[in-house]
Amino acid sequence: MPGTRPARWVAAVPMAALALATIYPLVFTTNVAMKTRREYVLDRFSPADSFSLDNVVKAWTSVGMSRYFLNSVVVVACSVALLLLIGSMAGFALGRLRFRGSSALFLGILAALFVPFQVIMVPLARTMADTGLIDTYPGLVLAYVAQFLPFTIFLLTSYYATVPAEIVDAARIDGNSVYGVYWRIMLPIGAPALLSVGVLNALFCWNDVLIALLMMPSAEHRTLMVGVTSLRGQYSDDIPTFAAGVLIAAVPVLVVYLFLQRQIADGVTAGSTKG
Amino acid sequence: MLVAPAVLIIVGLRLWPLVLGVNFSFTGDGDRDGVMVGLDNYVTLFADPLFRTALRNVGLLVLLLPVAVAIPGLLATFIYLRVPGHRVYRGVYFFPAVLSPVIVGAIFTLLLAFDGPLNGVLGGLGIGPVDWLGDPGVAFFVVVAVHVWATFGMALVVFLAGFATLDQSLLDAARVDGASFAQTVRHVIVPSLRRTIQFVVVTTMIGMLTSMFGLLYVMTSGGPEGSTYLPEYYIWIQQGRLNQPALASAASTALFGIMLVVGLAQIAILRRAAGEED
Repeated sequence: MPGTRPARWVAAVPMAALALATIYPLVFTTNVAMKTRREYVLDRFSPADSFSLDNVVKAWTSVGMSRYFLNSVVVVACSVALLLLIGSMAGFALGRLRFRGSSALFLGILAALFVPFQVIMVPLARTMADTGLIDTYPGLVLAYVAQFLPFTIFLLTSYYATVPAEIVDAARIDGNSVYGVYWRIMLPIGAPALLSVGVLNALFCWNDVLIALLMMPSAEHRTLMVGVTSLRGQYSDDIPTFAAGVLIAAVPVLVVYLFLQRQIADGVTAGSTKG
Repeated sequence: MLVAPAVLIIVGLRLWPLVLGVNFSFTGDGDRDGVMVGLDNYVTLFADPLFRTALRNVGLLVLLLPVAVAIPGLLATFIYLRVPGHRVYRGVYFFPAVLSPVIVGAIFTLLLAFDGPLNGVLGGLGIGPVDWLGDPGVAFFVVVAVHVWATFGMALVVFLAGFATLDQSLLDAARVDGASFAQTVRHVIVPSLRRTIQFVVVTTMIGMLTSMFGLLYVMTSGGPEGSTYLPEYYIWIQQGRLNQPALASAASTALFGIMLVVGLAQIAILRRAAGEED
């Protein structure tokens, strides 16, 4: 019977075990990253002798992770900024203004949501090559914007649809143009939704490997995730340095998660409760 | 117009490439670049053992789907019923969902190595060693299990949002009537959460078909013996490594077809199931 005390405790044991299984791989990796190669070969589990960041420093400086890290930061920042700008303009227009054909347009954007990247990657790569955008930062940013824009518009449209129409009307009477209403009122009003969608998009872009692999063939343009995959081949006999590289890529996500867990969850569930 | 940039990008870089890609799949590669070759690419595609394995693996994914949905569903039920520590579990379980498949794959490559920690533990218990990523009969299931480990938190959070809309009085009534846990799940929770379950089923399937690339790339590279190929990995190899864009386009079109079929079939099945409940 649900909710009685013994029943709850029976479920608690496997759930605690699963929670351990969720956390342990990351703890293990962190521990390995602190070890020397010799320590790792001798014993994989024992706690590292000293809390040493030598491997992290090595991965950061001599392997080029710092360059990859910077590439990722630049690309993610530009992509998210563009996504939020273009997405909120469209979301405001489709969700609040409503005009002839706006619902048809919204449906078209929803349809794009169901076209996975793998289906369009070949022609997209060719178009990017023809226009000289392949292997450039703007090219990768554009690919990310195109990939995550439908989702962004979907969430922001449903958010702006909940903003009372009176706010727009009042602002128009005060002499604001449509663009003025957007810039001065809708952008600030949308802040909570923009934060949630922005964090999710940042995670999507940061974590991506397929698009980056396709769009950025040259080594110095690698994003952090592509960098981690290349690290595996280079350091197959130096696991602690490899683990340190993995850690460098994971820590920013961990920090974002600790502070913005609620916003991330809100973004993920927003799609499930609508429609 | 405020929507103009959005429309331009979506039409230009999402919908138009879809048309281009389908068209492209009927042209040739290499010497026959740009020449219409009819269905040649599709013939080559379906004759390729690697692509056949990829299709077989899609079938396995469909079979494993109920497990991938049931695990987060059951866990969400327990959390909703407030097992001790439920607040902590929510935060802990969701965490791997925000990690990149590359990170997850890299970590599990270490854990599952033939001379790695898991085999070390099992060896201590007198089991194994198992070549987790090197045995063609095992590797695909291992990769799927890692994918489930990495993503079940996502579905869990969606289920919990569904539970928030659940009518508490129904649960109380079930309790008063002395319903068992299994009865409560079957007759109260599942029918009430039909929409949520539908959403999770569809998104989990899409996730399995389109976001395992990172894991495959890092953990197995499609091996051993091509046993862990999925259509998305096949497309990447043909395009990125073997420079056969037309064949890759045919595989893309096939993947799109699979997704349409799977999506429509699931909706039809769920509709019928829902109809029986009413």
